[in-house]
Amino acid sequence: MKDELLELKTRVLKKLESVAERSDLEKLRQSYLGRKGFLTLLLKRLEELPKEQRPAIGRLANQVKEELTEEFQSVSDSLTRKDAKEVSALDITLPGRRTPTGHLHPITQITEEICTIFVKLGFQVVQGPEVELDYYNFEALNMPKDHPARDMQDTFYISDNVVLRTHTSPMQIRIMENTSPPVSIVAPGKVYRPDSDISHTPMFHQVEGLLVDKGVSFGDLKGTLTTFAHQMFGPDTDLRFRPSFFPFTEPSAEVDIRCVVCQGKGCRVCSHTGWLEILGSGMVDPEVFKIVGYDVESISGFAFGMGVERIAMLKSGLDDIRLFFENDIRFLQQF
Amino acid sequence: MKVSLNWLKEFVDIDQTPAELAESLTMAGLEVEGLEHKAQNLNDLTVARILDIKLHPRADRLSICQLDVGKGEVSVVCGAKNMSKGDLVPLALPGTSLPDGMLIKESKIRDEISQGMLLAEDEMGLTDDHTGIMILPDNLRPGQPLSDAMDLEDWILDITLTPNRIDCASIVGIARDIGALTNKKISMPEIHIEESDTLIEDLASVTILDSQGCPRYTVGLVEGVKIGPSPFWMRYRLHVSGIRSINNVVDITNYVLMELGQPLHAFDYNLLADRQIVVKRAENGQIFTTLDEQPRDLDDQTLMICDGEGPVALAGIMGGLNSEITEKSGTVLIESAYFNPTMIRRSSKRLSLSTEASYRFERGIDIGGVDFALKRSLMLIKQLAGGNIARGIIDCYPEPWSTPKIILRANRANEILGTSIGIKQMADYLFSLTMAVKVVDQNRMEVSPPSFRVDITREADLVEEIARLFGYNNIPITLPAIRPTEEDISELVLRDRIKAILVGMGFSEIITYSFISPKSADILGAGVNSNLRSFVKLLNPLSKDQSVMRTSLIPGLLSTVRLNSLRGQNDLRIFEWGKTYIKEEEELPQEKQVLAALITGMVSTQKWYQEARDADLFDIKGMAENILGELGIDKAEYKRNSLKEGLDPNEYARISSSGSDIGAIGKVSKEVMEGYGLEKKAYVLEIYIEPLLPLVSRVKQFTPLAKFPSVRRDISIIVNRSIESAMLISIVKGIGKGLVESVDIFDIYQGKQIVPQEKALALGISYRSKERTLTDNEVNNIHEEIIEEIRRQTGGRLREGPKNGNPR
Repeated sequence: MKDELLELKTRVLKKLESVAERSDLEKLRQSYLGRKGFLTLLLKRLEELPKEQRPAIGRLANQVKEELTEEFQSVSDSLTRKDAKEVSALDITLPGRRTPTGHLHPITQITEEICTIFVKLGFQVVQGPEVELDYYNFEALNMPKDHPARDMQDTFYISDNVVLRTHTSPMQIRIMENTSPPVSIVAPGKVYRPDSDISHTPMFHQVEGLLVDKGVSFGDLKGTLTTFAHQMFGPDTDLRFRPSFFPFTEPSAEVDIRCVVCQGKGCRVCSHTGWLEILGSGMVDPEVFKIVGYDVESISGFAFGMGVERIAMLKSGLDDIRLFFENDIRFLQQF
Repeated sequence: MKVSLNWLKEFVDIDQTPAELAESLTMAGLEVEGLEHKAQNLNDLTVARILDIKLHPRADRLSICQLDVGKGEVSVVCGAKNMSKGDLVPLALPGTSLPDGMLIKESKIRDEISQGMLLAEDEMGLTDDHTGIMILPDNLRPGQPLSDAMDLEDWILDITLTPNRIDCASIVGIARDIGALTNKKISMPEIHIEESDTLIEDLASVTILDSQGCPRYTVGLVEGVKIGPSPFWMRYRLHVSGIRSINNVVDITNYVLMELGQPLHAFDYNLLADRQIVVKRAENGQIFTTLDEQPRDLDDQTLMICDGEGPVALAGIMGGLNSEITEKSGTVLIESAYFNPTMIRRSSKRLSLSTEASYRFERGIDIGGVDFALKRSLMLIKQLAGGNIARGIIDCYPEPWSTPKIILRANRANEILGTSIGIKQMADYLFSLTMAVKVVDQNRMEVSPPSFRVDITREADLVEEIARLFGYNNIPITLPAIRPTEEDISELVLRDRIKAILVGMGFSEIITYSFISPKSADILGAGVNSNLRSFVKLLNPLSKDQSVMRTSLIPGLLSTVRLNSLRGQNDLRIFEWGKTYIKEEEELPQEKQVLAALITGMVSTQKWYQEARDADLFDIKGMAENILGELGIDKAEYKRNSLKEGLDPNEYARISSSGSDIGAIGKVSKEVMEGYGLEKKAYVLEIYIEPLLPLVSRVKQFTPLAKFPSVRRDISIIVNRSIESAMLISIVKGIGKGLVESVDIFDIYQGKQIVPQEKALALGISYRSKERTLTDNEVNNIHEEIIEEIRRQTGGRLREGPKNGNPR
């Protein structure tokens, strides 16, 4: 019986070699492995064998059956592959039918990113006029006419009393004039200063922030802006707060992050300081609260402002700010 | 402001490295933006003594110097003439390089060997002097490394001052802050003045006629000075500070300015009429020539320093040409004064004349230190220019400054900062900043800032000083509890939705400048009274092309098309969301939010799966319909009721809904395209956001999904070309009695098979009822009715071909 089994195996393997059609394969499988196939019948005769021979022959029979089943599968697979090849001349590398894709301006994208972070922290987005009264742009921000701090911001004038806003800070006053505390807003928008070179354009974008409530502290300012920087530039971003001056905040602070280009080693982008200035901030000056009629003693607050172009440039590695407003389609499509 | 570290060290001990110092100043609010190592390779240069000077045998202008370099002799060819035998001079031997990178080599100059180069001060980067070879002091030895011998090594800190810290616009000012930060005492220059017996009052007088403009005016006088060049150390420091050396007396006034922050002015005493100084306002229309030889128009707001006859200086800004110190000056009168900051600032602005002096006066100098600076200058003059100092000074100071008293509450300071700094610690910080501090009780102290801290007038200012010395980075981080306020953000939501739709349709967003050329209105063909001409004009534009605020977004779109087309990019889909600014009666213009989109060139290019096709009006119309449809504004009407500036009168439409004008579409007119130098066709869409907003529903209502099948019937009808499809559709819907679900125009034919005045329209009508399955009969009846009504109203007829009523 052992011989019979081995002979059967050889015969089947031989026949399999010449199978070209799936139907032939199936016929062959039926006649050997099917319910009435040769191998099945052979196995039924196992009972006729003497008891002591049964286990050895049984093992051999199972082995043959497994080998043959496997071989049938492999021939079947190769037939499938052959079928696929014959049917299709599909060139999968042809480009697909694409519809044109549009892009939001990088400044819009970064503004959104900034605002979204603050909105999640509980700030509301507000907007206001770009052609602004001198009063809101300067005077109410503790910069009376003839104040040297006005030199910090060259200004486009429309008339003696009307300017193109030089920063988004007038929104602080406009909101506080119409709202009682608490106030928590971010105000994105266009601002204007007469300046034009590789790092200045006469129009650019800022995002202003203001939080006024009972018991708001410089520690809160640090916490809020640290959270912002970590979300904007990555959770490992180092930052530092250093004293500065703005007429409408006291104390005032500039916020620097560890240079994203050189990781603090010092490079051209960070003027070899290892730090990049990303925003100005401070505790709202009591004079400003007086001007909008808030009770200086019972509340406190912080304000901050940042340049969107600067942040977009840091994030993208762009080194000429003018490209933002040239609107070359190849530029826009990169973002 | 550039500050020499060596100069700083005269006033305060500095243990930190230059980099550490820069870091701690930055963190205290004096931002160091640059740090330059001065004279770092000057030790490669050698002190050499001139043993002999011979004329070059073959060049008249050159000489050959034989030099002792300590360990031998060398011979150098030199073009300068100022040195003589026995002088010590700086020498660069072959192999050394100069600060500008030039490498010195042994060379032959007209057959004579030159083993190095003798150097002028500018060649070593020390000053800008190039009048001759630098002559070194006689106490040096040949062969010494130059930098060590002269103690030249230095660091220059470039400090950016904030407008409030004018007290730091001097070496002493910065030294004071370093002292406070490092707990070191600062040492002021000592004043020793040897005076003559002549009383100054016998030589000069001072009268202040405008004490508001000039609260303090002091003068000192030195007779018999010898005007000449300043010594190297002074010229070096002035050079570092960015000040040109003039002569010893003028240099001293500038030196004291940089050292103490007090602007001084030196007059040629002998040119002062009546030997007197009068401080008063100028007269309107008066003209005065300043030191820079410019005639200046004065007005009665300008404060002047006058002598017995007329003006001799523009107070606090610049001296006059008529009393300038020259080589001939023998007696000098030095002015040290305090002028009203606002007055100086106004005059400086009005005259567009800003100087080191006006910069300081307009921010407020130390009124208490005026006399000290004067005495310091007198001492230096005697030291460097000789002469006799007249006895005493004149000090007109009608109302001496009184120390302000500010109450600081420790708990308020801690509340603002989020800290728990003890009152004792706070007092120590303020004391280290030379403030007088008197603790009143456990919480309060009375603080008097010194006269140079003009920025400190309130409790909040003291809180900042405490925070600065405590260190901003040491303040613990906390998060505020935010209670959101209610704001209407519907416009922002709408904006983001519209932008998303546009981006989805392949449009890229552009941002252009809000200011444009006033010519843009002409190019758009704006009428005389058009809103497009209601420009908000800039008084000080950067250029004519950016001199008015835009009244339309179309110029920005077209300029962008032009820029891209010049770069070969002709197929564009772009949009901008921004404001237009329309001048109104009120002070502020109307700022209106507008969306403008443009499509030009090909909408589809030739591909393996598609043909190329140029954009046309119905591309932009479809985009308008997409946007409005997505916003739930189904009932938008497109009408050609009034022309739209800049658009082709045949291919445009105004979009309205519920009676509001909400936008426009159209082809940009040929004239406008030519105005921008463009040849292709461009189609634009404008949507006005303010009127659109109330039409957009914030809540979308659910409509139950249809349960019963729909039936489609097609009609092909020939009508006069003037019949608009909208009319047919409205007839279909009108007769359809709510059973017409949609009407689709699936073909338009104009051509050979019909007469030229006519067109054939193929309409596909879907019928569906919400309540039941429609029977064929029902549909056929309505359909017939519809055809009849179309015939009646349009005079049209059915077209041969697809039989009407064919179910599809």
